[in-house]
Amino acid sequence: MTTRPRWEHIRGVLILLHILAVLLMALPAPEGAQRREAWNDPTVTAEFEAWSERLNHVGYETTPDDLKTDLFTLAQDFTEVRKTVLSPARPYARYLGTQQSWRMFVAPHRFPTRLHVELKQAEGEWETVSIYQDPDYSWKADLFEQDRFRSALFRYGWKSYSGARKLFNQWLAREAAVDFPDATHIRTRWYKVQTPTPEMVLAGEEFEGKFVLGQTLSLAPYRESP
Amino acid sequence: MRSLWGGWLDLLKREETGEALALWRICMGLVLIFALLLPLRAGAISVIWLPIEHGGYLKLEHSSWMMELLGGPTPGRVYGALVIGLVAAVALVVGIWSRIAAFIGLQAFLALAWINPHTGGSYDVLISNALWLLVLAKSDATWSLQARLREGRWSSAALVSSWPRYLVILQLVIMYTSTGWQKISVYWVPGGDFSALYYIMQQPTWQRGDLSWVAHVYPLTQLITAVVWFWETLGAPLLIGFYWARYRGERAGRLGRWLLKVRFRAVFVLIGLPMHLVIALCMEVGPFSWASMAYYAALLHPDELKRLWVWLRPRDPALSPMDG
Repeated sequence: MTTRPRWEHIRGVLILLHILAVLLMALPAPEGAQRREAWNDPTVTAEFEAWSERLNHVGYETTPDDLKTDLFTLAQDFTEVRKTVLSPARPYARYLGTQQSWRMFVAPHRFPTRLHVELKQAEGEWETVSIYQDPDYSWKADLFEQDRFRSALFRYGWKSYSGARKLFNQWLAREAAVDFPDATHIRTRWYKVQTPTPEMVLAGEEFEGKFVLGQTLSLAPYRESP
Repeated sequence: MRSLWGGWLDLLKREETGEALALWRICMGLVLIFALLLPLRAGAISVIWLPIEHGGYLKLEHSSWMMELLGGPTPGRVYGALVIGLVAAVALVVGIWSRIAAFIGLQAFLALAWINPHTGGSYDVLISNALWLLVLAKSDATWSLQARLREGRWSSAALVSSWPRYLVILQLVIMYTSTGWQKISVYWVPGGDFSALYYIMQQPTWQRGDLSWVAHVYPLTQLITAVVWFWETLGAPLLIGFYWARYRGERAGRLGRWLLKVRFRAVFVLIGLPMHLVIALCMEVGPFSWASMAYYAALLHPDELKRLWVWLRPRDPALSPMDG
């Protein structure tokens, strides 16, 4: 039997450890597990309704609410276990970028939101200056449609991101105070509407949506102390 | 157990010429340039990566570890990291000190990409994984300035370890399998109406423009949804089976022989590349598609890459840069 140099064994162990770390990092991370509020969104609720119906079909009696509660508990527990299992590999991931939390399009958002920004002049009506992806209302469109910013806007259309959304609204107020000297107030809100089915699109129909997560800010403080 | 360990060490001893790793290095360098320049071009840098007092919108208490170590993001640090990252990316493209360039590029990219966790994209992970593997790989053996300085020509027949390329393939497989196994929405899984792609394409967040025309080809989107789901959840692990069968040769099992017979890797690529191209055409997801497709460079053995080049350029193979 030939004797191998020691470094070959060391290399073999190190590469195995790398593979183990990457595999552990690929364990599914239920991102929304910590945000119970997000589970009440109609998109998530529709998923639970469909899944409970399916489970009832195969003889497992449950309701959407029960399923939601059970899975929320399970997701919490799983997140804790995942955190513990991953802890030895975490420094490797953090310092050398070997994370693997790839969750690309895991589920369609059936009730997506679209940002609307409006301004008010003194004694005037609200005037729309920006609607996400609408070329007729394009204030800050270049920024909003940059892919990294799209990621943020997707998140801020969820109720559970209230803290970051407020900071984002304040930033919009600071920008509007400079760009629109005559405006007195800014209002941001999100138009939430169910995506039409293919049949509805072909028939020229669409669901009626509603504005959610609105916030109105006076621009005066942002002019006094920008 | 001893023979298993010996087999593992023998696998890691394998060597090959460096064209596949070089192609992957060049592609990832270009992707890094793309990823760093896109937010700069849109004027988004200060808004997403700087604190409120410097024009940003978010309190950045949980910044990337590098920025934390430096004392938090400031214009000097953020734009400094951007410039350093771009220089490293150019070094990767031309192939000079590639391991050092990959490490510096990785740290600059990590420092920026993790400043604001709300503006992260899936491609951040793809890029950082690739850059670390480029640190481990000798990717500048050929098609590089390094080869030119060393041997007086851009290409070289110098041998490099094969295992970094195997790790790239494994990373690709893990990436698809991981995301596939998380696609448990009723719109994706068998038993439903396979409407996931249709509804995803209607989501305004990522659309490049109005995609309501997709309703006219809804049955096609259903078929593609099913194909993509099976391809991600089962196809990626089967790709490992394909390579394992090739490694085993005559000793491959029944499934392995079938994977070789149907040229499973070609099937995998013929589904994966068009899927990423369609995403790139219809959706604004930054360099995500290009980063994903760059990984495909590692699927080919350098000898196969050379044959492909000859096949693509049959008229004048003498001009081929593969002749090193």
